[in-house]
Amino acid sequence: MAGLTQLLNVARDALTAQSYGLNVTGQNISNASTPGYVRRVALLETQNLGSQSGGGVRAVGLDRVTNDFIERRENQATGTSSAATARDQTLASIEALFNDGGGTGLGTALNDVFASFSALAANPNDTTTRSNVLAAVGAFTDRANATGDTLAQTQIDLKQQAQDTVEQVNQRAEEIAKLDMQIAQATMQGDDASDLKDQRTQKILNMSGLINTHTFTDGSGNTVVQVAGTTIVDGQHARTLSIDLNADGSLKLLANQSGGGSSEITQFLTGGKLAGIKEARDKDLFDVSQKLNALVFDVASALNTQHALGVGADGGSGRNLFDVGATSTNAARDVRVSVDVFDHPDRIAAASSVFSTPGGSDNAVALSKIFDTHIAVGNSKTAAQAYGDLIGSIGSTRANSQRDVETQAAILSQVQSMHQSQSGVSLDEEMVNLTKFQNAYQAASKMIGVADQLMQTLLNTVGR
Amino acid sequence: MRVTEQMRYDNVANNLSQLSSRQAKAAQEAQTGVRVNLPSDDPIAAAQLARLTASQSQVTARRSTISSVRGDAELAESSLQQASDLMASAKELAMQGGSGILGANERATLALQVKDIRNQLIGIANTKGTAGYLFAGSASESKPFSDIGAFSGNDDAHLVDIGNSTPSAVNASGAKAFTSAGGRDVFADLDALYNALNSNDESAIGASFDGLDRSRSQITNAQAAVGITLNKLDASDSLQSALDLQNSKSIADLGATDPAKAYSTLVQLNNALQQSVSVGKSILDLAAFKQF
Repeated sequence: MAGLTQLLNVARDALTAQSYGLNVTGQNISNASTPGYVRRVALLETQNLGSQSGGGVRAVGLDRVTNDFIERRENQATGTSSAATARDQTLASIEALFNDGGGTGLGTALNDVFASFSALAANPNDTTTRSNVLAAVGAFTDRANATGDTLAQTQIDLKQQAQDTVEQVNQRAEEIAKLDMQIAQATMQGDDASDLKDQRTQKILNMSGLINTHTFTDGSGNTVVQVAGTTIVDGQHARTLSIDLNADGSLKLLANQSGGGSSEITQFLTGGKLAGIKEARDKDLFDVSQKLNALVFDVASALNTQHALGVGADGGSGRNLFDVGATSTNAARDVRVSVDVFDHPDRIAAASSVFSTPGGSDNAVALSKIFDTHIAVGNSKTAAQAYGDLIGSIGSTRANSQRDVETQAAILSQVQSMHQSQSGVSLDEEMVNLTKFQNAYQAASKMIGVADQLMQTLLNTVGR
Repeated sequence: MRVTEQMRYDNVANNLSQLSSRQAKAAQEAQTGVRVNLPSDDPIAAAQLARLTASQSQVTARRSTISSVRGDAELAESSLQQASDLMASAKELAMQGGSGILGANERATLALQVKDIRNQLIGIANTKGTAGYLFAGSASESKPFSDIGAFSGNDDAHLVDIGNSTPSAVNASGAKAFTSAGGRDVFADLDALYNALNSNDESAIGASFDGLDRSRSQITNAQAAVGITLNKLDASDSLQSALDLQNSKSIADLGATDPAKAYSTLVQLNNALQQSVSVGKSILDLAAFKQF
């Protein structure tokens, strides 16, 4: 009797264990495309009956198939890739500003200024020709202003983006701390908290896209999250980051102290969108702005000096062509057609002396010759050469950044592949598991049937 | 390696997106015929293109300068030709007037013709071109010669840049052609002849011959100088046009696509994309659960 009852018990346990397996398989299948879901494996083990063997089976829980090493690699690769992408987006918009292909760029405007001086030399006393000089000079300042303004606006936008990103980092940190708390509670209640752990891993991955993130488990089993070398989540406590500006206008990343005050951690910012924004803003954009300002300043100053030497059709001299500051700071944004000549074509100084007005053209020729003069980059290059260099450097920076984006995306996709291979759900596998558990379940049912039949046989025989 | 569905999807999606972006770029290149659409397409070429475009703009400006000053120079040359012809006529009248058989009345008639010539010559010396009075120097806005032939212009050169190392003067000097700055005051010589004829002074008529000859050769010299300027303009123009051609060729070489190559690349990528789509489809179809 005992044997048969035991068989029934074993069959009952088998049904429970196999249906647990079916459940886990079902969970895997339904989450096959859930981001961050880590496949589970039902852990079954034989159940001993005291010292006797021949026991049944029991489900002891789940295994969440993860690999800390691969996860950390994925976090890092995500950070590097996001940084490259964020930087490239800014570079793309800078590049579009300097696209002379359509004939509307600053280079075209600059060329037109010099061409207008040539035309003025040919026809120094023609009002239309003089007006054309003013128009060309005006088009150049407009173009320079528009380019300078857009660069400045981009700089402001990027600061806003950096602030938004830091805001998101803070939010994620808080969410992670909260999840840590929930995981601790669930674990205490004997739950394995797999779903919560999935969520936490996903949040950390998400955070890696924003800022370089590193995680490790401390002595007491808490997950410590560090961003930019600074602990932001420790157990169930989160701290916040903030953005400020340095005196030179560059971004400063601060970690706020719990007791007030903050410490700068900018130098440890190496990955994530925030690092990409910082590099694009404080290095790439800064570099382009500086070169552009220097070029505009050099051109405007050289033309001013020559123009002041000449004499207008009205006999006046010493006039500027451009209003530009004393240094190249913000020259592109601030340069204007000088009030000395604005709306006064007759004041354009084509002649070199009051005695050679109105037909003298020496100064117009001298102005057009500045085209061939090394006035830019510390008097080492002509304006056109300097502009060509600027275009070349913008182009190669962008081309490098595009390559960087591609390389990092390839690395990331490889790591993601590794991660998937380790933790992703394979429907093929699950189909096999489904069939396996189904068959085992069916066989266990059969066992009950057999035990029942044997019992009936026994009872019928004995009862007679 | 364990392969999951997500890996298959990601793979297919990655490959497709990479191919599509290459195909889109190739399509743009084939469609526009432009290889360097953005500086990053080829940074070195983009920098060179910027410099070449600048150089091209300078060449265009010089060529337009040449064509614009050329008209005035040609007008100056033909005006000086007419002036020289007029001086020849004046010399003929002087020789007629010098003949001993003429009386005071005939000489007075000749004097009127000389006066007429002088007025025509003043008209010629006041010829206006596109950049103002041709023979006025830099005082190009006011008539350089008064009705009595007094000169109010100057000898300033009209300088332009036509591609030579130093700016070139392109105007004819009225001062040197017509006034004592060139050696003879042409109008004074004509006045002398007029007065001699009018006063029936045979010896004074004879004395005017030399001055008239010298005045004429002074005008012819000025004409020759303009001729040289015109030659210089022509030479510069052909040099600049050669540069123009060279620049255009370099710009095309650097910035434009080779149509045959662009087209074949596009066809190649189109095929690759199509293939990738059908391969992707069969990969994604490959799922065990569909067989159960």
